[in-house]
Amino acid sequence: MNRPPNAVSPLPHVTTNLYFGVWRQPRRGGCPVRIGSGVELSAARQFVTANDPSPSFLARHQFLIYRLFSLAGLIPVGAFLVVHLLTNASVLAGPGTFQSRVDMIHSLGPLLVPIEWAFIFLSMLFHAVVGFVIIANGLPNVGSYSYVGNVRYTLQRATGMIAFVFIIWHITQLHWLGTPFGGGKFDPHHATSSAAVVLRPLLISILYAVGVLSTVFHFSNGLWTLGITWGLWTSPAAMRRANWISIAVGVLLGGAGLGALGGMRSVDVEQARAIENRMDDVKRMMEGGQSPVDHQSRPGALPISGTTY
Amino acid sequence: MIKAVESAEHSGDAGQQAVADHGGNGHGAAAPRVVRVRILRQDAPGEESYWERFEIPYVENMNVISILQQVAARAKSRDGRRVAPVAWDCNCLEEVCGSCTMLINGRTRMACSALVDKLLAESGDEIELRPMSKFPVVRDLVVDRSRLFRALERVKAWVPVDGSYDHGPGPRISPESQEDAYPLATCISCGCCMEACPQFTKIEVVRREDESAEEFDSRKKAAFDSGFVGAHAISQAMLFNGHPTGKMIADERLEALTSQGGIQMCGNAQNCVAVCPKSIPLTRSIARAGRAATVWAIRKIFDR
Repeated sequence: MNRPPNAVSPLPHVTTNLYFGVWRQPRRGGCPVRIGSGVELSAARQFVTANDPSPSFLARHQFLIYRLFSLAGLIPVGAFLVVHLLTNASVLAGPGTFQSRVDMIHSLGPLLVPIEWAFIFLSMLFHAVVGFVIIANGLPNVGSYSYVGNVRYTLQRATGMIAFVFIIWHITQLHWLGTPFGGGKFDPHHATSSAAVVLRPLLISILYAVGVLSTVFHFSNGLWTLGITWGLWTSPAAMRRANWISIAVGVLLGGAGLGALGGMRSVDVEQARAIENRMDDVKRMMEGGQSPVDHQSRPGALPISGTTY
Repeated sequence: MIKAVESAEHSGDAGQQAVADHGGNGHGAAAPRVVRVRILRQDAPGEESYWERFEIPYVENMNVISILQQVAARAKSRDGRRVAPVAWDCNCLEEVCGSCTMLINGRTRMACSALVDKLLAESGDEIELRPMSKFPVVRDLVVDRSRLFRALERVKAWVPVDGSYDHGPGPRISPESQEDAYPLATCISCGCCMEACPQFTKIEVVRREDESAEEFDSRKKAAFDSGFVGAHAISQAMLFNGHPTGKMIADERLEALTSQGGIQMCGNAQNCVAVCPKSIPLTRSIARAGRAATVWAIRKIFDR
């Protein structure tokens, strides 16, 4: 009988589907047996036959690593997510507003790359690597125990994996390589118009919506579990109240993310480009006293004083 | 495989009959004449498990233990073969000793307090019994729960008062703190919280041929100590850290809770509190342990 371990449930396969690692279903029922794993942090070992060497560095510092993982999810990764989504949502106030926000970030100049590596990419990578170890050592069982908390536990892991894939694609596409990964590259001097061009295909927008909503769920649900992990809310009543914080953050950021997406899609690219060009001219003049560059797609000769940033 | 096909045919017509027997499971309907049960059996540690089906006469107010007593008394499978009696663990029969935990209709619970009428209402005509999946099977429904007790050792879940002289009266405990502690003290070490926890996975150590019992035991303990302690141990650590005398070794308990497989393994699925037969506020204990571990880690880093 090829029964999954918790076959009585209406969702029998969830137990093994979301699971990383190689599992063998016994022929005649029973518990699945892991036949491939072996991460050092592992708390799960099916059969231990050899004498264990003294605990490794990672095992000895498991608590610290997991707590740093939890913290990294909030600061800097989560904090960056909030800033990023709210910045993007400013496109709803017009391409000029969004462009000025982007200019503010890019005013860091040459510091931008080391800052984004140190505080964003490496923290995110650390959070992801430890996250995958955690996922690999768990055994989701929503099929048998379909409580809300357990569903959230499983979704937290599923959305974490979606967010990981999405963020890698998102950075590679918009930030690093551009065209080969769909649409083109983000141009910080033409923030709205370049993003709008990339997001124009419906499929890309749908993928972005899924990716953004997964990331937002992962963050807002993670906020709630972080509070339990660090001991901020301890009683069941406090956890229920704290859950409202989590829901509010989720709704706000989800709205900001989808709003940004809708805003980028509905923008008139030519008009946005015109505004961006004018702002770019002003920046150049203020920086080095250079005369405005002749932008190739500049429609008409709009006065510089007409900008609205 | 062949076995599965056979039993599927079996339950085909027999199943319909059973449904007719107890006509919709409602109160006042005719009681079923028989109870059907399928049990996941295993002859010895490390051997492959197999399903066996049994049929026993229905008696009013049966629980799963009385089913197993009937199954053992008959020692005959539903298709009439003589089989070895099914082995299981039980003792108090009133949900206090914690020894009869098993997977009943796919969910972890105590066999003594699992009533057949309710089980039939949730699963139809057949009750499914499996050994707990997170502990090594000894035989049939009997599992080795030594990891559960090892976890209590790890967190020193006791009040250290041993000695050869009179310690005098202990400190007074306020009624508030008694009320806080009492629910935690009702833990029966049944292992339901560990079984339902998605972060708690099975560790099975196989004894080597050339190994003495002591060597095997220490290897087993070392293997258990690398895994998650489980919600019950975290809760017991909080119980004794809240006790005025138990508090004297609070740091040792926190050291254990922040070592490998400690509090950090919790994934906040909160199944433990949902399945606990004694309704112990396990997630409150876990969150309190998290808070204590936070403070303790800060102290450990900055106060040395």
